[in-house]
Amino acid sequence: MTTTEEAPTAEAAHDGEIGRDRRRKEDHRLLTGRTRWTDNIAPPGTLHLAMVRSPYAHARITGIDTRDAQASPNVVAVLTGADLADTQGVLANAWPITTDQVAPEHKPVAVDRVAFAGEIVAVVVARSAAAAVDAAELVDVDYEELPAALDLKDAAAATPENGGALAHPDLGTNNSARWIFDSAEAGTGGDVEDAIAAARSGGILIEREYRQQRLIPAFMEPRSVVVDPTGEQITLWSATQIPHITRFLLAATTGVPESKIRVIAPDVGGGFGGKLQTTPEEWAAFAVARRLGKPVKYTETRSESLLAAHHGRDQWQKLTLAATTDGTVTGLKVELLADLGAYVALVGGGVPVLGAFMFNAIYKFPAYRFDCRTVLTNKTWTDAYRGAGRPEATFAVERLMDELAAELGRDPLEVRRQNWITHDEFPFTTVAGLTYDSGDYESATAQAVEAFGYEDLRAEQARRREERDPVQLGIGISTFTEMCGLAPSRVLGSLNYGAGGWEHAEIRMLPTGKVEVTTGASAHGQGHETAFSQIVADRLGVPYEDVEVLHGDTQVAPRGLDTYGSRSLTVGGEALALAADKVVAKAKPWAAHLLEAAPEDIEFAHGKFTVAGTGEGKTVQEIALAAFAAHDYPEGIEPSIDAEATFDPVNFSFPHGTHLCAVEVDTETGAVSLRKYVCVDDVGTVINPLIVAGQVHGGLVQGIAQALWEEAVYDDAGTLLTGTLADYLVPSAADLISFDAAHRSTPATTNSLGAKGVGEAGTIASTPAVVNAVVDALRPYGVHDVRMPCTPARVWHAIQEGSAA
Amino acid sequence: MIPTAFDYARPTSVDEALRLLAQADDAKVLAGGQSLLPVLRMRLNAPDLVVDLGRIDSLRGIRDIGGGGAVAGGGGAIEIGAMTPYHEILASDEIRQELTLLHHAVAEVGDPQIRHRGTLGGSLAHADPAGDCGAVALALEAEMVIAGPSGERVVPAADFFQDLFTTAVGDDELLVAIRFPVHPGWGAGYQKFVRTAQQWPVVAVGACVHLADGKTISEARIGLTNMGPTPLRARAVEEALAGVTPTPEAVGAACAAAADGTSPPSDLNGDADYRRHLATVLARRAVLAAAGHPQ
Amino acid sequence: MELTHRFTVPADVATTFAAFDDVESVAECFPGAEVTSVDGDAFTGGVKIKLGPISLTFRGEGEFREKSLAKDGSSGRMVLSARGKDRRGNGTAGAEAVVALRPGAARADGGPATDVEVTTDLQIGGKVASIGRGLVQEVSTTMLGRFTDCLEKKLT
Repeated sequence: MTTTEEAPTAEAAHDGEIGRDRRRKEDHRLLTGRTRWTDNIAPPGTLHLAMVRSPYAHARITGIDTRDAQASPNVVAVLTGADLADTQGVLANAWPITTDQVAPEHKPVAVDRVAFAGEIVAVVVARSAAAAVDAAELVDVDYEELPAALDLKDAAAATPENGGALAHPDLGTNNSARWIFDSAEAGTGGDVEDAIAAARSGGILIEREYRQQRLIPAFMEPRSVVVDPTGEQITLWSATQIPHITRFLLAATTGVPESKIRVIAPDVGGGFGGKLQTTPEEWAAFAVARRLGKPVKYTETRSESLLAAHHGRDQWQKLTLAATTDGTVTGLKVELLADLGAYVALVGGGVPVLGAFMFNAIYKFPAYRFDCRTVLTNKTWTDAYRGAGRPEATFAVERLMDELAAELGRDPLEVRRQNWITHDEFPFTTVAGLTYDSGDYESATAQAVEAFGYEDLRAEQARRREERDPVQLGIGISTFTEMCGLAPSRVLGSLNYGAGGWEHAEIRMLPTGKVEVTTGASAHGQGHETAFSQIVADRLGVPYEDVEVLHGDTQVAPRGLDTYGSRSLTVGGEALALAADKVVAKAKPWAAHLLEAAPEDIEFAHGKFTVAGTGEGKTVQEIALAAFAAHDYPEGIEPSIDAEATFDPVNFSFPHGTHLCAVEVDTETGAVSLRKYVCVDDVGTVINPLIVAGQVHGGLVQGIAQALWEEAVYDDAGTLLTGTLADYLVPSAADLISFDAAHRSTPATTNSLGAKGVGEAGTIASTPAVVNAVVDALRPYGVHDVRMPCTPARVWHAIQEGSAA
Repeated sequence: MIPTAFDYARPTSVDEALRLLAQADDAKVLAGGQSLLPVLRMRLNAPDLVVDLGRIDSLRGIRDIGGGGAVAGGGGAIEIGAMTPYHEILASDEIRQELTLLHHAVAEVGDPQIRHRGTLGGSLAHADPAGDCGAVALALEAEMVIAGPSGERVVPAADFFQDLFTTAVGDDELLVAIRFPVHPGWGAGYQKFVRTAQQWPVVAVGACVHLADGKTISEARIGLTNMGPTPLRARAVEEALAGVTPTPEAVGAACAAAADGTSPPSDLNGDADYRRHLATVLARRAVLAAAGHPQ
Repeated sequence: MELTHRFTVPADVATTFAAFDDVESVAECFPGAEVTSVDGDAFTGGVKIKLGPISLTFRGEGEFREKSLAKDGSSGRMVLSARGKDRRGNGTAGAEAVVALRPGAARADGGPATDVEVTTDLQIGGKVASIGRGLVQEVSTTMLGRFTDCLEKKLT
């Protein structure tokens, strides 16, 4: 049983730091660009790199003539994969999802064969970026084209016997791994085949196939890396989400001792999962800098970024939902193909597995089976993209719930209500084996329905249908949940993931009263500095302005597992709260000593230690100075009140929410325009409502963009056709409407903050809300699905085909 | 995104610019740069010389040339210097009132940054079939003033656009001005269909319509954007509209022929069939808007 | 992309076939194309694709993969394949053209005619194919159209 409370309104006056709207302290420098982006970093004598990339999806390299490039002005070196073979290391897959996973070796610079268009075949090193780019044009590579595995379904079916193209012929198959969860085998539910058989003979069976198109994270700051090998350590600056993991893997794959490597992620301009990667560009730069003994820099162009930075999504989902005629779902079977691209990326194989636990969403499905195959193709590798596995799952189940309602002729909200977990059933163990600790789907939905004006919009929809209005109204629903806060280390271990999920924090109490905080969670735009300052100010009772948050440098914050999976607050923030509690505990004997009282008589509140019953006291900041001087302190304790903490959650957190979307579809042109979007998200305790609003709004845009605009498209030779932002359509504010985003709070029980995480919520929830709305608008035209993105042309063709049927 | 090295010249007169072009083997003209610079940065072209027309003052400005211009028909005319940026055209009251269609189309070009840098002449000489202004120049029956080594010549818009990215302007010539016959009293409608706000049109239709006695269409001129390698006139629709009372039904029937004789591309924004259909819908809407029946 | 061009030539199939067999002469029709060497059925050369904002120079090689002329002159067929890369390393181009010749309806003056069908599968790859609305593909298509138009004129 959990309680629900209204979130404070944004304008409300606030005494405490938790729940307070604070403008982000990092924004001025980030928005004005007056800060240290990786590309701004230029050690003296820095050389510049340009990458020569394969134009072919799959080809053998038969020769590389570098002579003209070598002779080009200001060129220092031209290095091929063969030149770097011994030192460049390999790019690791940290999450082999099965013990028999098939994975090709991934060399940063290809040695004798390229497996996707955009793969690096040579690196040009020059004294200026312009000279490097000029010379790269002169590298003459001869290729012998090989058959390319491009279509996901064809690739999955290809074998050496049937002559289908293999992405890596030596592997003999494109199928990398098969991962199955079955509730009957796991003991978490019944046998889905029984449910399907029963539905077939007297219930309802919804069978659908959905396409999760390939997306490109399209972060604002292109990837950039600087490597300085001069001095005792090799320093690598990178626009990355994961400096700690990068340092570990550089050491593990190149043989350079970890202690000799320092990785710095300075301010990083967005990632969305796209910078949760160890990249060929980083590894190549590292190898070149070591070889030449000089600092090197590489910054990709936007087109290179779209081409070669990892892509996301790209699945075929075959779904079978069984239900009784009264609308109760009895089972869900998911058969999934996931396109890995040419290599198994850092956590690429695991992305669909993250979704495996979410297909049952907020519902009490009694039987469930998830059967996923990951498939290699000759396209850019895929990996995490905002939501990573969970948007795919949420899309599928929320589309299916609408389809079930349509089949039953009932309101889709009602059918959801009939099947969801009620607020008095928490904690609830799902058919996928997770235990949801908290939530209140009824209240969030009721609030959203009210704000949306659901009944009025339904009435308008009926009227427009009646009048055969060429502009039809559609209403889409998405009642989602997700698992956040990656992640409990034991759970990750059981899934064969290569690392843990803890996070580390340290608090240094400086003698001037300032508080220096380090966190292993490395921000790339989320606002960690502000939110974490608020947590520390709240726990220590020090002014917010006195807290400085440092991150993103393995020498400043040596321990950490970085930022992804909406984990920073629930894991990193909690580590910080625990460290603050330790500071208070360590300061207490100092306070007692200085106040000449017994420690048990000392109370701590609002930053001050006081003797019970007297007005006398010392602030924690005063004690910090005393500890620095260390002139007078009790026997048996150390002269420091600094503290560190590492937090490993026992469970994920489970934010949820109800998203309602109204769209207008111009049936003459197929154009879809947003009319209204209301969401009520329960993300647990809110530290900073302004940051939460920013995360929700940005997340919504990315999710809506998948529904309506974005798609990475390859031609039938494996050339990426969406290689500029004129072709890969990222929306701007001009394409969107104002969102009505509210939140409620049932605090999480798995961290003392009560926080659940919000980084991915909007993205996960919004895609099915929009597509459900589009399909809802078109049901009178016989339309039951529109492939994403729902472009005007696709919508128009769907209307023509539906009307003709 | 670094272009190859090139020489850069910034002449201050048309004559100087023409001399530079005559001497160069491989020159490109920079007339705002909203299309050229991306092409250079992506290295789809590597000219030896870039001639920037930005400092030739005589190429910039909006002038009422009255009836004395070369424009056929005897009415008044407005001449727009080729290097006039969109934002100046957008801000002109004269153009809003007498060349309303051009005003509407220019308002839809790119975004404020592009409208401040990009120029009408640059866009027309670039002759991108998805550019907003080509179809409008056709519909308004503009005339293009082209300067070359042997002086100026005037080419009607209908003869100006020859093929994809190909116009009547020779390698040693410059488009210096565009003359538009004024259309006082004509209604105008511009329908640009895009998937996202800052995009080339999937299809666009510009219509200007003259109503006899305020009731029936006496003349309609319709330009199509991105329905083939060049901007096009929808002549069949224009003929069908003559004498029609502009009800939605009647205009819709006339506009069914909007895609006749076109060869639209198929690309990621839509296939050719879709574009052909879209042209009919947008034409109807543009004509109705022009005739004072906005939907 | 596959592109088909059809035209009729006022000559018999064998004469038309011979005209197509002359690579250097045929190449003259492609603006900016030059054949630098011919060795039996193989040839090397370059083509400058220059249209509006775009100027790319491709160099490469080609060959007649198939040449067959029916003895009775009732049909002719040749398959020509060519591949090249942009001088600046920014793209690749590959084309396979199938030229099918068939006797056409007799001309008004009673002379022979040949119906020509050129089907070209054109593949543009690499960076140039990834940028900006398929601009390079569009431009290539236009150039190919001009080429066949020229051929038609040259042979008629």
